[in-house]
Amino acid sequence: MSFPESLWALAGSPWDLRPDTLLGVALLLIAAALLGELVWRTLRWPRMIGYVSVGTLLALLGTGADPGAPALRLVVDIALALLLFETGARLNLRWLAANPWLLATGLAESLLAALAVYFTARSLGLDAQTAAVLGLIAMSVSPAVVLRVVGECGAAGQVTERLIALTALNTLLAVLGIQALSAGWLLSDPETWQAALPAVALALLGSLLLGAALGAVVAWIGRRLDLRDDNAVLLLLGFVLLSLVLAKTLQLSTLLVPLLAGLWLRNRSDRPWVWPRHFGSAGGMLVLVLFVAVGSASSPLDHPQALGIAAALLAARWAAKGLAVFALARPSGLSWRQAASLSACLLPMSATAWVLAVDFAATHPAAAPALMPVLLTMLALVELVGPLLLLYALRYAGELDPPAQSARAPSPPGATP
Amino acid sequence: MSLGDFSRSKAFTLGVELELQIVNRHDYDLAPGAADLLRLVARHPMAADVKPEITSSMIELSTGVCERHPEVIAQLLEVRDVLVACAEQQNLRLCGGGTHAFQDWSKRRIYDTPRFHHVSQLYGYLSKQFTVFGQHVHIGCPSPDQALWLLHAMSRYVPQVIALSASSPYVQGSDTGFQSARLNSVFAFPMSGRAPYTLTWQGFQAYFEKMTRTGVVESMKDFYWDIRPKPEFGTIEVRVMDTPLGVEQAAAIAAYLQCVARWLLLERPFEPQEDDYLAYTYNRFQACRFGLDGVVVDPRTAEHQSLRAQIAQTLRDVELHAIELHAERGLALIRAQLASGHGSDANWLRAVHAREQYLPELVRQQCLRFEGHDG
Repeated sequence: MSFPESLWALAGSPWDLRPDTLLGVALLLIAAALLGELVWRTLRWPRMIGYVSVGTLLALLGTGADPGAPALRLVVDIALALLLFETGARLNLRWLAANPWLLATGLAESLLAALAVYFTARSLGLDAQTAAVLGLIAMSVSPAVVLRVVGECGAAGQVTERLIALTALNTLLAVLGIQALSAGWLLSDPETWQAALPAVALALLGSLLLGAALGAVVAWIGRRLDLRDDNAVLLLLGFVLLSLVLAKTLQLSTLLVPLLAGLWLRNRSDRPWVWPRHFGSAGGMLVLVLFVAVGSASSPLDHPQALGIAAALLAARWAAKGLAVFALARPSGLSWRQAASLSACLLPMSATAWVLAVDFAATHPAAAPALMPVLLTMLALVELVGPLLLLYALRYAGELDPPAQSARAPSPPGATP
Repeated sequence: MSLGDFSRSKAFTLGVELELQIVNRHDYDLAPGAADLLRLVARHPMAADVKPEITSSMIELSTGVCERHPEVIAQLLEVRDVLVACAEQQNLRLCGGGTHAFQDWSKRRIYDTPRFHHVSQLYGYLSKQFTVFGQHVHIGCPSPDQALWLLHAMSRYVPQVIALSASSPYVQGSDTGFQSARLNSVFAFPMSGRAPYTLTWQGFQAYFEKMTRTGVVESMKDFYWDIRPKPEFGTIEVRVMDTPLGVEQAAAIAAYLQCVARWLLLERPFEPQEDDYLAYTYNRFQACRFGLDGVVVDPRTAEHQSLRAQIAQTLRDVELHAIELHAERGLALIRAQLASGHGSDANWLRAVHAREQYLPELVRQQCLRFEGHDG
């Protein structure tokens, strides 16, 4: 065996996360961090583009993430929980009440996207069940990508605020929709419905309760400690982890619990809460792994037969979301330029969609063969385009930090026009 | 650009301008929302006007020309309620106060107009550090010579209105120890300070022409004086106040200045002299640093007196004019302020922060005050 090959064998699949394959993980982290820095320095792109690119390379090399690997799944769940918690904590329900046209935009863009994807999928020959699952998952815009790009680029403004609010809302709708669909299928099976009914009801109620409990704990900590402090952040991280373990043990949704916790925290009181992005550097590393892992889940070449369908579904989804935003832009108080920017920002799909699909396929193994190739191809198609588009759309709306001021000596006013 | 003629305006008419902070509802940092807010405000016809300011997280409202305090307060309450409703639709919030407690000046964006970009380029970081929020009061004068006489006679009341409006103890996340730290940002500008001592419009025009010839200034807008004449309006403009936390206080300070102006011009209790300015910057510093407890000195008598006592004396001096101008409600607010323990908005801010120990929460409570819910 030549040297590089033996090294490759030693590295093994980086996603096993066993001590004997830690080399793979180490190399991966180094590569992702370096590439992230490179795209940031040379192109001013968010570092996450670098992370996702490393994932894409892995996928092309055939060492993609295995959603079944428990260690990897745990990291993905934690990272996603942090991001969903942050997203939920940005959805102010009072805003939706004060600006009902914004609420209408959120409901319309979710619903239209679901319908557009469903009917496009049906017309391209997919069965009704698969089309329905795809439609519901497609409602969600990736909270991971949105929060990461917004955070890294320091975006602030009306489009950014609305993007985060819409993302929180459509992710909530997608998770609830998939849960309802999944439960409906279990309940419609005459063999299992009696056993499934209490479980389904308990799962929903449990997620609500656990989410509220986590939100209340964070609020309690926040009133006593400064959440910007390192130690307080560790405490928060611990509680998020604990609620995740509880959710997994009780078979509750690991997406719903953190999202509801954030929502609870934001809306229980008007008090501002500030904590470091992704809960500091520990959370930051988990988020890096999340982006590499989801990026490596699939490459567009894995399922060439699904490419056309996936592209068509993405186009239908994007058009539907854009239509809703444009139709309600004026009454909701957006300029046309902002509406264009916000529409473009609604493209990304990522980790949430992946987890929704993987979990759905695990509960309904019969649905997997039709569902997964199309969904994975959709994710692969937008994983790099989505964040870049988001970046340029926010810049178009003028919501990124201005470039550094020129060092040119200014002239006195009399000398300028 | 030439100075132009001094427009005639009705004596002792009033105009109030307030620069307001636009903050987000998430962490209560300044938010670049001026354009989003103006888009909605344009749908509401009002007596007052709302304009953008140099940074996009600031907005300026101005009343029309008012005769009396009740008219000012009615216009301010109307525009306040419209602004609060529009801000809520855009997930923004508004508050008074001379500074934002913890904003980072390097993050401020310049509102997109040629003049603002020009000013930003000229002054560099000063223009962003100038993200401070003031109240300006215009007082109508029928003739330019009267305007200049009044401008210099009023200079001894500058420390008083600084102390009454002081609401900027926090800058960039720390307590400065000042009651009004905002003015320290203003003093950094080369054209700040007091107007040159001339009591005739002819003399003032000569000064202005000499200055424009040097190329250092091209219009009155380039002077950042504490009180400056505004020839287009036919007014003098008092610019030293912090934006108070509530519009009621802003209207009261405007009424106070109006009463003082009427008293000075009709009774001429003293004649202004250039030596009045000997202790001017010292007195102004006392007001900024210690507010109502500042001790100022009269350069003519060398007598030291607290601003609290001086304002109480002025309130007695202008009593008859307050009745004439229907300003009693406004002045009653100032009397209550002198009598109360904490007095200024700056002290209220410090008390809230002592309780909460959390600056974003302080800004939230500032928003409540501005909206009219007394926190």
